[in-house]
Amino acid sequence: MNPDDNIYLPRIAVVDRVSDEIPEVKTFYWHFEDDADQQAFRKFRPGQFAQVSIFGVGEFPASLPPSPTEDETFFTVRSVGSCTAALHQLKPGDKFGVRGPYGNGFPMEEYYGRSLVFVAGGIGLIPLRSCIVYALKNREKYDRILVFYGARSPRELMYLPSLREWERSAGIECRLTVDRKGPEDEWEGNIGVVGSLFKIPGTNIPVDNTIAFVCGPPVMFRFVIRDLLGLGFREQDIVSTLERYMKCGVGKCGHCCIGVAYVCTQGPVFTYEQIRNLGEDI
Amino acid sequence: MKARILDRRDVLKIVDLLKRQGYEVIAPFRGRGRDTFFDTVSDENRERIELHLPNPYYPPKRYVLPHIEPLLNAHSGNGGIRIQPTFDDPKRAIFGIRSCDVAGIYHLDRFYIGREFRDTYYERRRKNLFLVNMVCTDPGEDINRECFCMCADTGPASRDHFDMQLMDLGDEFMAVAGTARGEALFDDPIFTRGGEGHLKRRAEILNGVRSHFKNTTRSWFSAAVRQITQGTVLEKTWEEVGDRCLECGGCTYVCPACTCFTVSDRKVAPGEVERVRVWDSCALLGFTRMAGGHNPRRAVHDRRNRRFFRKLEHHFIERELSMACVGCGRCAAVCHGDVGMPSVVEMIRRATMETDNNES
Amino acid sequence: MAHRLTTCTFCGVGCGLYLETADNRVIGVSPSMSHPANQGKICLRGWHIHEVISTPDRLRTPMIRKDGQLREAGWDEAFDFIARRLKEIRDKHGPDSIAFLNSPRCSNEETYLLQKFGRTVIKTNNVDHGAGVYSNNSTDVLMEMIGVPATTNSFNELGKSDVIIVSNVDLGKRLPTIAGAVIRARLDGAKVIVTGTRSHRVVKNADIFLQNKPGTDALLYGAMTKVIVDHGLMNLPFIKKHCSDFDNFLSTIVNFDLLEASEVCGVQAELIEEAALAYAGAGSAAILYSTGLEYGSTDAIKAMVNMCLVTGQIGKEGAGLFALTEHNNLQGACDMGMLPDRLPGYGQVTDAAVRAEFEKKWKTGIPAKPGIAAKWVLSDRGKGSIHAVWLCRYDPVSTAFFTNAEESLKQCDLVIMQHLFLTESAKYSHVVLPTAMFGEEQVTFTSGERRIQLAKQVIDPPKGITPGWHHIMQVAQEMGADWRYESAADIMDEIGTVVPFYSGASHENLAREYGRQWPCTKDKPLGTSFLFEDGIPGQCFKFMRVERHDELFATSREYPFLLVLGHSLYYWHRNVLIRHSETLKREYQVPLLDYPEGFAGMHPDDAKQLGVRDGDRIRLRSDSGSIVTVAALSHEVRSGTLFMPFFVKQVEQQIQGPGRSGLHLIKVNVEKEAQ
Repeated sequence: MNPDDNIYLPRIAVVDRVSDEIPEVKTFYWHFEDDADQQAFRKFRPGQFAQVSIFGVGEFPASLPPSPTEDETFFTVRSVGSCTAALHQLKPGDKFGVRGPYGNGFPMEEYYGRSLVFVAGGIGLIPLRSCIVYALKNREKYDRILVFYGARSPRELMYLPSLREWERSAGIECRLTVDRKGPEDEWEGNIGVVGSLFKIPGTNIPVDNTIAFVCGPPVMFRFVIRDLLGLGFREQDIVSTLERYMKCGVGKCGHCCIGVAYVCTQGPVFTYEQIRNLGEDI
Repeated sequence: MKARILDRRDVLKIVDLLKRQGYEVIAPFRGRGRDTFFDTVSDENRERIELHLPNPYYPPKRYVLPHIEPLLNAHSGNGGIRIQPTFDDPKRAIFGIRSCDVAGIYHLDRFYIGREFRDTYYERRRKNLFLVNMVCTDPGEDINRECFCMCADTGPASRDHFDMQLMDLGDEFMAVAGTARGEALFDDPIFTRGGEGHLKRRAEILNGVRSHFKNTTRSWFSAAVRQITQGTVLEKTWEEVGDRCLECGGCTYVCPACTCFTVSDRKVAPGEVERVRVWDSCALLGFTRMAGGHNPRRAVHDRRNRRFFRKLEHHFIERELSMACVGCGRCAAVCHGDVGMPSVVEMIRRATMETDNNES
Repeated sequence: MAHRLTTCTFCGVGCGLYLETADNRVIGVSPSMSHPANQGKICLRGWHIHEVISTPDRLRTPMIRKDGQLREAGWDEAFDFIARRLKEIRDKHGPDSIAFLNSPRCSNEETYLLQKFGRTVIKTNNVDHGAGVYSNNSTDVLMEMIGVPATTNSFNELGKSDVIIVSNVDLGKRLPTIAGAVIRARLDGAKVIVTGTRSHRVVKNADIFLQNKPGTDALLYGAMTKVIVDHGLMNLPFIKKHCSDFDNFLSTIVNFDLLEASEVCGVQAELIEEAALAYAGAGSAAILYSTGLEYGSTDAIKAMVNMCLVTGQIGKEGAGLFALTEHNNLQGACDMGMLPDRLPGYGQVTDAAVRAEFEKKWKTGIPAKPGIAAKWVLSDRGKGSIHAVWLCRYDPVSTAFFTNAEESLKQCDLVIMQHLFLTESAKYSHVVLPTAMFGEEQVTFTSGERRIQLAKQVIDPPKGITPGWHHIMQVAQEMGADWRYESAADIMDEIGTVVPFYSGASHENLAREYGRQWPCTKDKPLGTSFLFEDGIPGQCFKFMRVERHDELFATSREYPFLLVLGHSLYYWHRNVLIRHSETLKREYQVPLLDYPEGFAGMHPDDAKQLGVRDGDRIRLRSDSGSIVTVAALSHEVRSGTLFMPFFVKQVEQQIQGPGRSGLHLIKVNVEKEAQ
């Protein structure tokens, strides 16, 4: 971004197509109206986010699920508030605003040579998808890659085609679980919380020279952290991305500040060690 | 810095000089009773400008960060959306801004344009803003009961960050230029060179004024910074502060150094939206509430704690090279439950003393 | 830019504030340091008033419903339409088929003209203000007992009170500026006593909290009064000199035995005694209550006034009764006679001598039959007798709980709406007139401390829009009335001739300092800071018997909980002004977003017994209905009670069953539902 740019000015984006992901969650494929904006934006890092504008309703932060190695830009968004509900109304050809990318992102280059363990719950897979795809694209740079993903029910598993592909793929060890299954669900896999996957016999989780990515709802986060620490992970080797009410995304509006950290500029990616020292509840 | 002397009767001619240079000049006036406010100088009200009066309660920070400010307009139609940023950045001079408020604007400068992501709207207004600082020298008029600039080390005379500083020496005023554009005003014949006597008089007056401040607790202020930074303030103290907070947001709105805002879209007409930003406050329940209902700072004392943490935590002071409390005392005057900065520093002190006594 | 001192338009405190304007826009707001009511403080609502005034989303042209749709119309067309339809309906159904309801936020001038229009042009007493949906209890009791239906003292005197009793009102949420005055008074040494079912912010700053069971206020204050009598702490010289009916009152006080009251109210006897002795022993002691009492009966107010009279805590600085108004002009609306049974200045419409006086001044006859109150107009159209309603800045569909506003308006042949915005009620309106907003017209409001204040015009209204009083005058002229007011000041001059205690309150006089507190007369143009400050005339106070109605709150094994239906605490959440402010909208939406289907506040101890966790679905069952809702655990709620705020409207009808509207205290049992 040019330092003289107006930091609050969104650029116009156009919806290409919309796909239903799971109930209340949709993926919006889009591109900037102006190709220069598109080229500038595509230099984002996994773990960064963008500010999405629905004019007349407002602006909200959305994580970036695509990897910069992919061609398409898209958001995967759950309808929870007025802005996200308005986004869900958009159809192909509709226009909205995007600013970004913002935030620190995951330092994927720093992890070269190490094993990567991804632990995600529910829509926590959205920001981690970017890293997983990025790591697979740069497969030779990393040691083992493991994905542990859980959802409340089989119907709430995000990015299911990708998950199935990862399950089959040789370069990645992918384990899925659901909290419960309904009578109509076809589900042969594990039932239980994400942490229960760690205990399945034959599961061999690397700890030394490994980075663990954790993303999911607060309760899941607490338990998984406990499990990982129990496995011997160091606090600085566990990374996550935090969510906060944000208005600007660029360290000005003050809403996302936790302790001394602005989640939008110093985060959203923090190590667990940093999170613990923020001095406030997350 | 260069200094000049001018006759008391010529002080308001500085306003005229600035106006001739195309500035909209803002100056302090009296309202009803003790009320005072900054307002635009016109031919009609020029004679009513007050050199000494209680510092207006509504802070001049709104000339760089308005209470409500349109950021952009979005027009939609014919399948497209057109976005037009809306700037309001006239050439403006504040005549008679107090030292605490100069420090406040410096803090805002650091915050808004002192690092990456410079705030365009702030920057355009700030570049056009000329500051004529008036030193608080009249204890009866200039110094409120709540003032504690001595503790915050911002007054009664600014050391920097103004374009020109004026100080009342009696029949004469001393003018000090802080910038080149301030110094350029010295070309006008109302300014003459002064002598040693003027400097001596200035020092005497400042010493006199300093003695008029309540014997406030400068050392306790730094003790509060230390305790907040180390996280040793008792939870009980924060709860007591929270119990007396009525969540009006007033302390943050009147604060010359508070920076938070929120952004909201308003429908102007069919197909036309304006996006405004308005001052926001960490005292409010909706400040941190996320869509979906999770609110990390739900309890009122967590929210109150936030304001003092943001102002006194060492990391922030270092980050902005200035403290986000400038000692103006407005938060003390505005607070329903008397939990402005001076009272809270005092409550922290008292709680510490009690604990110390219990331990010894 | 310019600054002008004006008064806040939200609640009845009447805070002084400055509006900052530039280019005919309001761009900021700040409180007045010197205004006696707020002394430099304003609440969240006041701090965001500029957002409301500068909202671009305003009604800009009159609209008339044609073919089911509201369509833009010209002003003359709209006035013609209103006049013609009103005449038709009056001719067909009689004058009493038309009702006039306004918001207690309308100005004195607008209110005065609306009731005058109803009474002299249409010839009906069907005039009432929106808060009348709940009650005018306080007005009636205070009129009878102290002769003046208003707060006796000034808000800034709370700093001089030795004891302050806060009765059953969450000041921190509802009237924060008063809450602040109470908290600061305590920091300066005053003793603060809070009574009421719910705990709240002021309780955290109180010396004594009497958390009585809902509905037991009259008993609690009766018991406190008996303690005072038993200890011989009555102010006998005062009683003898100024009060009537003392003996009659004394004969009923045996019904308020301390120990029994303690048992029934659920409050420790020692605390009741301590509070009573503190009140009686204080040099000056004030009692604060809200006129928006949810389940406050006339008995509760009578009991408080009796206690005040027994100790003579009236007619002196820092003492008295504070009948707090939660709307900025609720006091003024009552003063202006926006009441179905009282004319401006509180004379009864049934009193022929009073009527004769008005008929002479208004040069026309006025009806003698009291009108239908707002509550009934909106509940069942006064048993179906109302065919037309004029709503002045009033949106009953959004804010009139305990009524059936939507259905009632739907059934009317004519609904006239004057408002700033296209409100919910506009959906049922046949004609809509956009009015000037606060800050766009020069009018007066009377705050809860009898302070008549001039709200200055600081900007011009949008093009073509005139003040609401102007519309009323136009229609009156169309209907043949010879009304000629050049400005709101002219109307105020007329008000001064019919309301004696406003006789000195010309706009010119009000423009000085911070308005004037009534009585403001020609002889006393500076007004009156506390009532009876020049001495108490003869026997002007009257004791009243307080009856006990324990059956209202006595629970049973079958229905062990008392459900309190509370609206006031969440009143502002549905308010149309709030919805037009960026920040207020966000803040007031929080409970609505957290609990879209409403909730029942429950004490954690009760929840534990029932095995209910926060957020669980529960069923409440009364003897006539039931409802499923969400439990919200809170220490603010008294054990044994449930508190349901009123932002979900169907609640009341479901729990009470059809046709039993209006109870605010319902006995229920609670079951946990399948989650």
